[in-house]
Amino acid sequence: MAAEEEDDYMTFTVTDPQPTTKETSIQRRARLKREAEARSRPKPLSERLTDSAAARDAALSTSLDTSNKGFQMMAKLGYKAGATLGKSSDARAEPLGVVVKEDRGGIGLDSERKRKFREEVEGEAKRVKAEEGDYRERLRVEREEKRMEGQVVGAMKVAERLAGEGTEENGEQRESEQREEKAAEGEEHEATAGVKKKEPEHKPLKSVNVLWRGLLRHQLERERERRMRYDLHQSLSRLPTYEDPDEDEDDKRALGKDKTAVYEEELEEEDPELEAFNALPVAQRLEKLVRHLRNTHHYCFWCKYQYSDADMEGCPGITEEDHD
Amino acid sequence: MDRRPNGEDGSRVKRQKTSATDMDPKANPYLAHMYQDDAPSSNGYANGYSSNSRQKTSALAKFSRHASTSVLAQAAEDGPNNPFTGQQLSQQYFNILKTRRNLPVHVQRDEFLQMYQKSQILVFVGETGSGKTTQIPQFILFDDLPHFQNKMVACTQPRRVAAMSVAQRVAQEMDVPLGEEVGYSIRFEDKTSSKTMLKYMTDGMLLREAMNDHDLTRYSTIILDEAHERTLATDILMGLLKEVALRRPDLKIVIMSATLDAQKFQRYFNDAPLLAVPGRTHPVEIFYTPEPERDYVEAALRTVLQIHATEPEGDILLFLTGEEEIEDACRKISLEADELIREADAGPMKVYPLYGTLPPAQQQRIFEPAPPPRTKDGRPGRKVIVSTNIAETSLTIDGIVYVVDPGFSKQKVYNPRIRVESLLVSPISKASAQQRAGRAGRTRPGKCFRLYTEAAFKKELIEQTYPEILRSNLASTVLELKKLGIDDLVHFDLMDPPAPETLMRALEELNYLACLDDEGELTHLGRLASEFPLDPALAVMLISSPEFYCSNEILSLTALLSVPQLFVRPASARKRADEMKDLFAHPDGDHLTMLNVYHAFKAPEAQNNPKQWCHDHFLSYRALQQADNVRLQLKRIMEREELELMSTPFEDKKYYENIRRALVSGFFMQVAKRDGSGKTYVTVKDEQNVLLHPSTVLGQDSEWVVYNEFVLTTKNYIRTVTAVKPEWLLDIAPTYYDLDTFKKGEVKTALTRTVEKMRRREAIKGGRK
Repeated sequence: MAAEEEDDYMTFTVTDPQPTTKETSIQRRARLKREAEARSRPKPLSERLTDSAAARDAALSTSLDTSNKGFQMMAKLGYKAGATLGKSSDARAEPLGVVVKEDRGGIGLDSERKRKFREEVEGEAKRVKAEEGDYRERLRVEREEKRMEGQVVGAMKVAERLAGEGTEENGEQRESEQREEKAAEGEEHEATAGVKKKEPEHKPLKSVNVLWRGLLRHQLERERERRMRYDLHQSLSRLPTYEDPDEDEDDKRALGKDKTAVYEEELEEEDPELEAFNALPVAQRLEKLVRHLRNTHHYCFWCKYQYSDADMEGCPGITEEDHD
Repeated sequence: MDRRPNGEDGSRVKRQKTSATDMDPKANPYLAHMYQDDAPSSNGYANGYSSNSRQKTSALAKFSRHASTSVLAQAAEDGPNNPFTGQQLSQQYFNILKTRRNLPVHVQRDEFLQMYQKSQILVFVGETGSGKTTQIPQFILFDDLPHFQNKMVACTQPRRVAAMSVAQRVAQEMDVPLGEEVGYSIRFEDKTSSKTMLKYMTDGMLLREAMNDHDLTRYSTIILDEAHERTLATDILMGLLKEVALRRPDLKIVIMSATLDAQKFQRYFNDAPLLAVPGRTHPVEIFYTPEPERDYVEAALRTVLQIHATEPEGDILLFLTGEEEIEDACRKISLEADELIREADAGPMKVYPLYGTLPPAQQQRIFEPAPPPRTKDGRPGRKVIVSTNIAETSLTIDGIVYVVDPGFSKQKVYNPRIRVESLLVSPISKASAQQRAGRAGRTRPGKCFRLYTEAAFKKELIEQTYPEILRSNLASTVLELKKLGIDDLVHFDLMDPPAPETLMRALEELNYLACLDDEGELTHLGRLASEFPLDPALAVMLISSPEFYCSNEILSLTALLSVPQLFVRPASARKRADEMKDLFAHPDGDHLTMLNVYHAFKAPEAQNNPKQWCHDHFLSYRALQQADNVRLQLKRIMEREELELMSTPFEDKKYYENIRRALVSGFFMQVAKRDGSGKTYVTVKDEQNVLLHPSTVLGQDSEWVVYNEFVLTTKNYIRTVTAVKPEWLLDIAPTYYDLDTFKKGEVKTALTRTVEKMRRREAIKGGRK
């Protein structure tokens, strides 16, 4: 099989700048141009603003620690970490929060909006069983599920990123029977090298924690689709399998047509574990992910913050409501 | 490691004077009263009668201290001679006396005296309008007779303006010239004499006095007025007085508050007795909105116009949050009102803004009567005042019948984690909302329109506004406490202790500024810095400035940074104002620009007609005048502490560089570095993304800047910035810029590079020798 022959170079790391097939000068120029464009495009202001707001929020939820010189001076006066000042029993332990008002909404507007939303959701859960047929109710549930679905994806991304940061070395242990799949994936990853930089050694899908395996799988599927569409487009509305008698080998390479679509195997394969996970209600999936992030990385999905220790001091709790 | 005191590069000199502790206490103005006996000619009684002879002739002769009654006191008040000066009383005095006797507190004079005589600490509760601020101190004078003890009665106020205006009023009531028997003392201005027996002062001033006289020995009674406002200084004073009361059983203390939360004061002062006097107020009907408002400003304007169109005669008070919002609202209301008049035949309407930075003359306009009806039988005119929360407590405007309360005010917040102190629009407290509503019932029954739902009032508003101590950077407070002799800051008994991290940050800052050593003890520099009524960073900059040969300039700059905004930028002439500002702009930054302004202001050309000159150049005459005054006061302290005043010759090319270096000596903790990508900056250590405030004159090409202020809005801004060099940071503040304490990142990389560069340069220099 062709796949078997290519086996060797398919095990290259995905970030390797050397493509498995040499790119032509035309391809290279196109790629460089694309990359330069991406680089030169400044971050939109909105993004920069969220960046600085996020940095501010992160700093605001990080308490000064015992390495602070002021702490050491206080310790000499008998202060112990976690205690309060003065003699009254109800003294503050935490500084007052900083809330920047961003609009001219009147008092109670925000909580009114939140309340309405919560009521909708709660009323939902109760009523949905009683009145299955109620179209509007169902719509609402769907809306809420959609929102949570989005959060699940967000949590998956975080989990994947954090896992990548933690255990890059582990990629070495691979099993030989999965080579083919890897080969197929390796191929795909060339195209998405930019996206997958954090994961220098590609791992087979099944070795990825089921919690966020869906995300990767989805990415792969999307990539496959994109490639197919790209190929279609490149070949001027012909099917990728169409052989143009006028094209010789060089033409094919120039048009990138020699990388034919061979990504199916892994994606086509059954994955009962993932299916079982996906079958769970969205709330349960989200909860699992949030718990995983807390237990493994001390990361609170709702605070959007990675704490330094397991105590996660400052985090109001495990649910989204706790963070309201 | 700290090379600050004696730099090796020879460009600085050591400070001349090294010790302030051995200063002659007699030269200290705060202690002047202790040495009065040594200089009898200066005690003010030299004009004819001594304190002794006066005692005999005065109506007060038969009073025995702490055993007087209201009958006795009233007899003395009735004249014909002034019981305190012996002079004949004026007609005006008797006129005022009549109204004074009508004030609610007057009814309870005996009750007050009895409680005052019986206990050392007393909590007095009186609503606004009860007359407590003007009358209680006078009640006390007649019973305490401080002048026979060579002591005084002090009455503190949270605001300078209040201290001045109340003193003025009480001087009138007592028929004495302001500054003699009755005086006031505020930061940078002392209007008292050796005759003074009743002194109104800001709470901050009393605190400063306590720094040099821990037991406040010159006072026989101390009144803390408006204690419910819980300013930083009042809170510290309460903690202090609690201790002083034990050391000085003869000292009487009265805590005065407007109704709310009085029990808290009682509890704090070991269950001190409480006396309450009802205010004179009319009922106020309160209205809530059925739904939360989408835009509180728009809702406020709508409500004001609706009141004007439908409600009977009576003036309107609208609370908004800041100058810009208020000016904008005033314009819109005027426009809409004109339309109402044309189309719906509404009465005429006058709209006045009111906020702290408004010039006093314009502030006075709010007291003008409402406009008359346009025709004889036309609908009555109405006055609308759009104000910040200064109209909530400190200013009383008669004629207000309608209050519109959107529920927001600008409040100071401080967070030690990102070290930002900023004014933010925040929801008010229930207590504030009640105060605001109360303003509608001063003259007759009124109405208060709250632009939020009743549920929101109950659930969303906190009970009391957080005291200032929880919302402030405590660096200067810690320095003051240290100077007050309070060493155990951790266990100091405050009414509402701040979060531990706030103290932590303050101690850390003072340690980096070398005002406290690692043990938390005041250093020489710290002691010196506490002599200045300034933030520690400013004080340290000023004290270090002789080392940089520019103490004259830094003195001016410090004064300029201590006063409100210099540049005026009216909405109607923004462009012109900016052009004028450009005349003074210095390419290296705003501090130097401010200095240019000041120098131009002091030049003969401007001094010919300074008011006109300021007006022409879009500068605040008031702010510059104030800066001049502050400069003078600071200069006196510098001279007293023997800090040399000097300048680098203007022609010297290091003239501005020296000033910028001196800036670093105080503000090295407020530095930002430009982000690699261009427009944004990152603050050093805290790593917050910030933008240069649009008002800056600084171009985008400065990699390192010091800033005076971190302003928090939807974006983070740094305001008043000046370019500096990284070498200076490393050189002037080596402890803070110890690279081992930096997190990995752009700032650290850049500083490391600078260190290497400096080392190379050093090596080359060494090789040449």
